[in-house]
Amino acid sequence: MSDSVSVDAPGIKAPGIKASSGVRQGEPWYKNKKLDQYLCFWSVPIFYTLFGLVFVPLSWMMPPRSPDSSMAEIVAFMQSENLLFACVILILSVGLAAVGNAVYMTQMRRMTVSPAFRFAFMAGSITGPVVGCLFPMFCFGLGAFRPDYDPEILAMLYDFGYLSFIGCLGCFCLMWSMLGLSILLDKNNILPKWLGYYTVWQFVTELFAATVWIAKTGPFAWDGLLAFWFNMVLYVPWQIIVYFYIYKAIQNQPEHELPNVLPVKAQPMLQGNAL
Amino acid sequence: MSNTLESVVHKVDVREQPQVVGAFPGQPSMWFFIIGDLLIFGAYFIAYMAYRSQEPDVFLQSQQAMNQGVGAINTIVLLTSSLFVALGTEAVRAQKIRDSLRLFGLAMVFGALFPVLKIFEWLPKIEAGHTPGENLYLMFYYVMTGLHLFHVLLGLVILGFVMRNIKTAANPDVRFVETGAIYWHMVDLLWLVLFALFYLMR
Repeated sequence: MSDSVSVDAPGIKAPGIKASSGVRQGEPWYKNKKLDQYLCFWSVPIFYTLFGLVFVPLSWMMPPRSPDSSMAEIVAFMQSENLLFACVILILSVGLAAVGNAVYMTQMRRMTVSPAFRFAFMAGSITGPVVGCLFPMFCFGLGAFRPDYDPEILAMLYDFGYLSFIGCLGCFCLMWSMLGLSILLDKNNILPKWLGYYTVWQFVTELFAATVWIAKTGPFAWDGLLAFWFNMVLYVPWQIIVYFYIYKAIQNQPEHELPNVLPVKAQPMLQGNAL
Repeated sequence: MSNTLESVVHKVDVREQPQVVGAFPGQPSMWFFIIGDLLIFGAYFIAYMAYRSQEPDVFLQSQQAMNQGVGAINTIVLLTSSLFVALGTEAVRAQKIRDSLRLFGLAMVFGALFPVLKIFEWLPKIEAGHTPGENLYLMFYYVMTGLHLFHVLLGLVILGFVMRNIKTAANPDVRFVETGAIYWHMVDLLWLVLFALFYLMR
């Protein structure tokens, strides 16, 4: 547990700071060797809070509106000013997702799997938000940007927006399947095995979203019980649990495994060679 | 150095394996997966029943066009495969390596028949225009049997790893073999419910 810091003697640790948190005795917090990972980690709750506020109370993009909405409803939604505002906030902040995903990749590096898993994870984490976040924002923002667009065009943008929003879940499937398989194949037990299986459900149910391209009403439509709500019931607790365990994994990471302290570790060896 | 360490670790593993009758078979994480998977399928089954009760005529009519013969053959194929897996696991426990390989091989042959039969079931349906978009029954049918098919394919991969372990390891990992076996039985159990709900129910 507390294998990362060797200089600590029991009783003289600063209160509230765990031996494994990466802080050396007597050093200020900003010299924490895991500060990079903690910053990435804490960007996630900020990002998701922003996401939730913008999606629900600000624009009512979520929960998804019906694919069966009347033209008047679609036009009223697409031209609402809050929607443009919401899109701008998300377009500006979507980069935070990349920062948050860095924390997965840092921990995946410690797993005994091929680097191909991390590269594929990264490719998935890039393509997913482009299609699933940026595309819909560009579509939804246009109605308020130029209010005299033809309603027919707005209806198409509405379909385009929601289909790329919810129908692209398959893009994330690659990303999470790489994480899930890495957890299951990993012999270092960086994350618990059962979480690997939970991740398998997570990415398989995401594939179900493919039905939104066929059904326009009912449980398999983009606002349906099985294509959307059921996935959310699985996804939201999973996301919280996975971040909790990622946090524990950062805490338990021994300092000699941190790539950013490697040059320091390498020094004695270099000196030895020089001598 | 690391080789001797590995062999020591392996010996410890073998000693801890539940060779005793009545011990909990397989790895705990697989039980987590199986129970959760059954809950997820259970939720889908409940949703299916709820939507079925809303338009019973459409569901019944489409259901009657199902090829019950292929469904029944698939049921027998999976049950037979599961029997061989159970016998193979017993053989591994009794250290009969050659027998267990033969039994798991037979299990895989029967297991591999399932996707082949599925193709022969799906293709004529799709060619006749009975696609998922036709009605809610067919959407449920393709999604649920597709999800189950995914489990079968994953199960075949797992059985492959089980056979590799039996063949190559000096001492087959009984707990790992059991883990594969309980997964395969779950696939079987799910199919029985699917068969009842999508082919037989009136």
